Amino acid sequence: MIIIDNLNLHYDKTAGYNTCKKTGKKETSTQVIFDLSLTINEGEKVAIIGPSGAGKSSLLHHIYQQLQTSAALCSQRQGLVDNLSIYHNIFMGALARHHWLFNLVNLIRPFKQDLHDIAALCQQLELDQPLAKKVDQLSGGQRQRVVLARALYQQQDTFIGDEPFSALDPLMKSRLLDTVLARHKSVIMVVHDRELAITAFDRVIALDKGRLVLDSQQQSIDQQQITALYQTNAVA
Amino acid sequence: MSQLQQVKSSHYSLCYWQIGYWQKITLSIWLIALVIIPFADIEIVSFDPFLELTRMVNGLVTPDFFATEYLLQAILQTVNFAIIGVCLGLVLGAPLALIYQNPIVSSCCAFLRAIHEIFWALLFLQVFGLSPITGILAIAIPFAATFARVFHDIINQSSDSPLESIDSRADIISRFTYGKIAQVMPQLMSYTRYRFECALRSSAVLGFIGMPTLGFYMETAFKQGNYSEGAALLIIFIALIGSIRYWCPPKLLGIYLVIACVTLVDIPNVDSNLLVRFISQDILPPALVNVATLAEIQWSSLTTWFSTILSEQAIPGAIATITLALLALAATHFITLSTHAVASKHLCPAPLTWLGRFILLIGRSVPEYILAFIFLMLLGPSMLPAVIALAIHNGCVIAYLAVKQSNTITPQQMQMTRLNQFNYHIMPTIYPNMMALMFYRFEIIVRETAVFGILGIMTLGFYIDSNFSEIRYSNALVLITCTALLNVVIDIISRRLLKFPQTSKTRC
Repeated sequence: MIIIDNLNLHYDKTAGYNTCKKTGKKETSTQVIFDLSLTINEGEKVAIIGPSGAGKSSLLHHIYQQLQTSAALCSQRQGLVDNLSIYHNIFMGALARHHWLFNLVNLIRPFKQDLHDIAALCQQLELDQPLAKKVDQLSGGQRQRVVLARALYQQQDTFIGDEPFSALDPLMKSRLLDTVLARHKSVIMVVHDRELAITAFDRVIALDKGRLVLDSQQQSIDQQQITALYQTNAVA
Repeated sequence: MSQLQQVKSSHYSLCYWQIGYWQKITLSIWLIALVIIPFADIEIVSFDPFLELTRMVNGLVTPDFFATEYLLQAILQTVNFAIIGVCLGLVLGAPLALIYQNPIVSSCCAFLRAIHEIFWALLFLQVFGLSPITGILAIAIPFAATFARVFHDIINQSSDSPLESIDSRADIISRFTYGKIAQVMPQLMSYTRYRFECALRSSAVLGFIGMPTLGFYMETAFKQGNYSEGAALLIIFIALIGSIRYWCPPKLLGIYLVIACVTLVDIPNVDSNLLVRFISQDILPPALVNVATLAEIQWSSLTTWFSTILSEQAIPGAIATITLALLALAATHFITLSTHAVASKHLCPAPLTWLGRFILLIGRSVPEYILAFIFLMLLGPSMLPAVIALAIHNGCVIAYLAVKQSNTITPQQMQMTRLNQFNYHIMPTIYPNMMALMFYRFEIIVRETAVFGILGIMTLGFYIDSNFSEIRYSNALVLITCTALLNVVIDIISRRLLKFPQTSKTRC
C-alpha cells in the first residue's frame, strides 16, 4: 500500500505544523525524520509508538499525504468548526460523496438519511449529545469523539489516527478502538498507550529521535525493549 | 555611599526620560496640531452664537414630533435606502471578497471606497435625478468595496485546520463553505449589522443633497429656524439607530427587503439619452468634446485646463482637507480620552457612567455631517465647527469601543484609589488599542473632511460641489478622482508609517 524509502523530513518553524518538506534545508527548519524506510501493506493494523518529539506526527502526516485519496485522517489538531453543530461537523466527512448543491442545502436543512446515519454513529461512539448542539459547548472528550466520528463518516478503507483517544478513559478507549479496527481494512495510528498498542495491533513501530528503532514485523516484540526506549529518553 | 547614590540617581534619570512609542505618537499628534493652528481658519464668524444656541436648546427641550409632514414617509425611505443599499452592496461585494487578493481588484475597491457616498450621489444625481436609484447606488457602491475588503480579511484570518481534515476529493465549494465560511459566519453577520447602522447614517445624510430621507427634512427645519421640529427629527433618528437590534433582527432582514422594494418611491424612467450624453459629453474635458479623432485634440488647451484645476482647486482643497483632518485628529484624541474617562466604570460611579454612555450613544449615532451642519449654524462658516463635529463623532465611536474593552478588565486586587487604578492599570492596558483605532478612523476623518466642503468649508468637497452646480462635470470628476487618490495615499502612508497589521479586527 505504501512504501517509504530513506525518508528525511524537516519541520519548518516559521510555518505551521504540517508543512514537512522532504528536501531543501532551510535555516529555520530542523530535521525530524532521518533516513526512514518502511513498507506498510494493505490490511495491516499498525501502531506507532515512541516518546514525545520522536517524529510520530510528522511521519503520520507524511503517510496521510501519500494516501490522501483512500485514507481518513483523525488529526491531533482537531479542526472542528466551532460554529457548526455536531451533525454538520460529522457530515463534513461525507462532503466528497455529494454534489456541492446537496452539501449547501444540507447546511441549511439537514437531510433525513444523513441525520439518521450520523445519529447511529454517535450512538456507537457513546456520544449522547443532541446533534444540533454546537461543538464549542462540548467537553474535550466529546470533541475528540466528534473528530473521530467525522473520520469514520468518511467511510474510507484506511484510517490514519494521531492519538485519537487521548482524552478518553481506558475502557471507552478500547471499545472505540475496536470500532475503528472493525470498520477499516488498514489502520495506522499513533498510540500513547503501549499496552494497547501491543495487544490490539498486528504490528508495532517505535520511533525515537526521528529514527525507526523497532518494527515488530522483523523482530518479536520485547516489552522490556520498549520500556527501555521510554526510559533512556526520560533520562536524556 | 554618596558615589553609589550618584550612580543610582543617574541610572534612574536615564530610565525616567525615555519616551515610549505611544507617548511619541501622542506628542507628535499634538505638536502637528499646534503648528498648523495659526494657518487654519478657526475663528467664530457667527454674529451672536449664544442667541442661536439658546434657541437651539429651547428647541431641544420642546421637540415637536408632529411638525413634519410626510414624517413616516421620510423614515421609511431612510430605512429603505439603507436596506436595499446594504443588500446590493453584499451581493456585489461578497463575491469580490473571494478574488480580493488580485491586486487589480483590491486597488479598484480601494478607489471606489475612497469616494464618499455623497460624492457618488452627486454624480448619480446628474444622470438619474432624484430617483431612488441615486440613493441606493450611492450607498451600494462604496459599501460593496468595503464588504469585499473586510470579508476578505475576516476569511483570511480564519483557521485552516478544518480544511485539512476534509476529504481532499470534495469539491471546492463544499470545502470552502463548510471549512471556512461556516467558521466566520458570526463575524460576517456582526460586521454586516454594523454596516447597516452606517448605511442608515449615510442614507439620512443623503437628504442634505435632496434625497427624500430624514436629512432632507432636518436640513429644512434647521435652516428655517424650526428648532423644535429639527430636534424632534434628530431624536427620532437617534432612536432609530439606537434600537436597530430590536426592530431589525437578522431573521427579519429578508422580509424587510421585500417591504423596502414594495414601498420604495416610484422609480422614474431613466432617460437613456441623458445617460449617453452624460458619459459621452458632459464628463469630458472641454477640449475633448466634439473631437472625432485623436489628431484633432488640442493638447495645449487640455493641459492648461488640467493644470488650472490642479493649481486653483485641487491643491488648495487638498491642503485645507489635510489641515482640517489633522486638527480633527488631535481634537478626537482629546474627546476620546475625556468621554472614555466619564463612561468607564473603573473611574466614575455608576450614575455618571450611565450619563457617559448616553453621551457616547448620541455622539456616535449622529453623523458627522449633521453635527457639522448644526455647529455651522451656531458658529458660522470656518473650520472650527467641522473640527468639533469630527471630534465629537469619532471620539465617541472610539471611546465606545474602548469602554467596551476596558469594562472587561478586572481591576487589580490591590489597595488603590480609583484614580490610581485607572491611570496605572486601565489606561496603559487599553491605550495602544485606542490609538490604533484612532488611526484607523483617520482614513474616515479625511473622507468626511472632504465632504464637509458641501457645507461651505473650503475643503475639496467645496470645489466639487461648486463645479457640479456650475455644470462643469468634467472638473468635478477630476476633483473627485483627486479626493479618492488623496484618501488612498493617506491610507497607505498611515499604514506604512505606523506599521499596523492590515487586519480589519478594528474596522469601524
